[in-house]
Amino acid sequence: MAKKNRQQAGGRSEIRGVDLAEVERLLSFMEEHGLEEFEYEASGVRIRLRKASATSAGGARPVAAAEVAPSHPVHAASAAPAPHASPSRAAEPAVASDLHLIKSPIVGTFYTAPSPAADAFVTRGSRVETGQVLCIIEAMKLMNEIESDMAGEVVEIYVENGNPVEYGQPLFGIRAQGKKK
Amino acid sequence: MFRKILVANRGEIALRVLSACHELGISTVAIYSEADRHALHVRFADEAICIGPARSSESYLNIPQVISAAEVANVDAIHPGYGFLSENANFAEVCEASHITFIGPSPAMIRMMGEKDRARVEMGAAGLPIIPGSDGTVPDEDAAKRAAAEIGLPVMIKAAEGGGGRGMRIVRTKRELIPAFLTARAEAEQAFGSPNVYMEKLIERPRHIEFQVMGDRHGSVIHLGERECSIQRRHQKLLEESPSPALDPATRERIGRQVVDALRKVGYSNAGTVEFLRDHSGNLYFIEMNARVQVEHPVTEMVTQVDIVKTQIRVAAGERLEDAVGSFEARGHAIECRINAEDPDTFVPSPGRITTFRVPGGPGIRVDTAAYADAVIPPYYDSLVAKLIAHGRDRAEAIARMKCALAGFVVEGIKTTIPLHQRILADPDFVAGKFDTHFLEHLAPVEAK
Repeated sequence: MAKKNRQQAGGRSEIRGVDLAEVERLLSFMEEHGLEEFEYEASGVRIRLRKASATSAGGARPVAAAEVAPSHPVHAASAAPAPHASPSRAAEPAVASDLHLIKSPIVGTFYTAPSPAADAFVTRGSRVETGQVLCIIEAMKLMNEIESDMAGEVVEIYVENGNPVEYGQPLFGIRAQGKKK
Repeated sequence: MFRKILVANRGEIALRVLSACHELGISTVAIYSEADRHALHVRFADEAICIGPARSSESYLNIPQVISAAEVANVDAIHPGYGFLSENANFAEVCEASHITFIGPSPAMIRMMGEKDRARVEMGAAGLPIIPGSDGTVPDEDAAKRAAAEIGLPVMIKAAEGGGGRGMRIVRTKRELIPAFLTARAEAEQAFGSPNVYMEKLIERPRHIEFQVMGDRHGSVIHLGERECSIQRRHQKLLEESPSPALDPATRERIGRQVVDALRKVGYSNAGTVEFLRDHSGNLYFIEMNARVQVEHPVTEMVTQVDIVKTQIRVAAGERLEDAVGSFEARGHAIECRINAEDPDTFVPSPGRITTFRVPGGPGIRVDTAAYADAVIPPYYDSLVAKLIAHGRDRAEAIARMKCALAGFVVEGIKTTIPLHQRILADPDFVAGKFDTHFLEHLAPVEAK
């Protein structure tokens, strides 16, 4: 009776052919060398490790996210999942816990000023009142004014002027403060 | 040909449209609600845009959001799938006004076929046999009494803006007439926004037979054969097949020709399905037309080898039918089982997380699904989990393959209608092709093992 040739696992834990100890080693390697992003492919498995701070505007807490993409697609998929590009953001911004997010209620194009020649409604550091217009989102030729739902200081602006935004996308990070006198 | 298409839908039909686009080298944009963030159509599209919260009215049915997404992504065309905005003439018009091609019939055709009483009158005038019924809507109680007397009881009262089997009432006695008329109007107003109803002679124990059609923008119309969809529960189709065991070649030829002639007359383009009821004498009567691609389109695709969704895109881009479709032949027999996330006996919806999902394969088996292991079937949308289609050289082989496929389709974590389909396929009347739309009501109850 022929013996099957078996690879000796030797105490390593695995998920779908990915050696977790190996992934941990890669994470330490990245920290050690100050790497933001790391990707490699071997034996039909592709691993991509990316710190959240690698793509956000002002990252507070870097988190390593491991994506394991088998080269052989699962039967239900017609091809390996293609990376999709949502309108403007590459990743969720890492948000400090005291910031209140103003999110887009509609799909459209984000403008920081009422017209191309005019000054921006707000900038980083601007103090705003509840109901104050922060930006315009243009949708179907209509200019929608987006108002702040609280008083405070504009700490973050997550979208660049003229970029598209989707429903729920963070636009501004506001830190609560007392009313203007 | 279009460069980029936005798919204004979700679930398995969104995946279906994405496939067709990718085959044609067209790049794709998916839209999704927050509940569908991890859905496959989002992951398989080239771009994806979140357009709203879970509720359909605020997302998939939200025309400004959908159009805005199309503009922001700079698409050439929108494919609406089925359901949602696919038969919304207003949406089709907004697309046109925004210089985005709506992949489907014209707004005028959608409107005509959407007003069911008007479609009946127009198709009758264009030469299709229609069920004896009221001339347009029945506006008040006196008109209802007159119409019922003319047509002869029993009658069916139907919502003019309804469809998909909803907003219908049967009246067998004079005494039931006015209460049924008033309730039907109230229900129609609630469900479809218009209280208008019309009346038709009730065809007892009918068979539901529908013809798949396709028109181009140059005046040509063809049909791709018929499907039988008599296996229904509360007017919702559960199992469909092609060809119909009840149609002889002469009738198929004759009705097919009448359908094509009628649609050419009214100037129909793109995909559609013309629905008939067949009475026990074998007469076919037009009941309504669905101006869109249908859930059960794969059944026709398996028999004819014509890709209906790709053809929709190609004719919308201006191609002629002879180029987009060419010649084809109907071969063999196909059956589709709609696998829903429902209790197979009580039909109570069963949303939740799928823990195991093993899909069958083998010769003649096709599965259209957006489900996968660890996916969550949300409670906000329809309960369709997968469409399982089996094709064979004849009906017997299709049935045999379907039985094996159902036995090999493992879904755990939610309840599905798979056991119900197994019972249907084991039923001798079904196997003999002897059934009508009341079949499911009379299906033998589950036997304790």
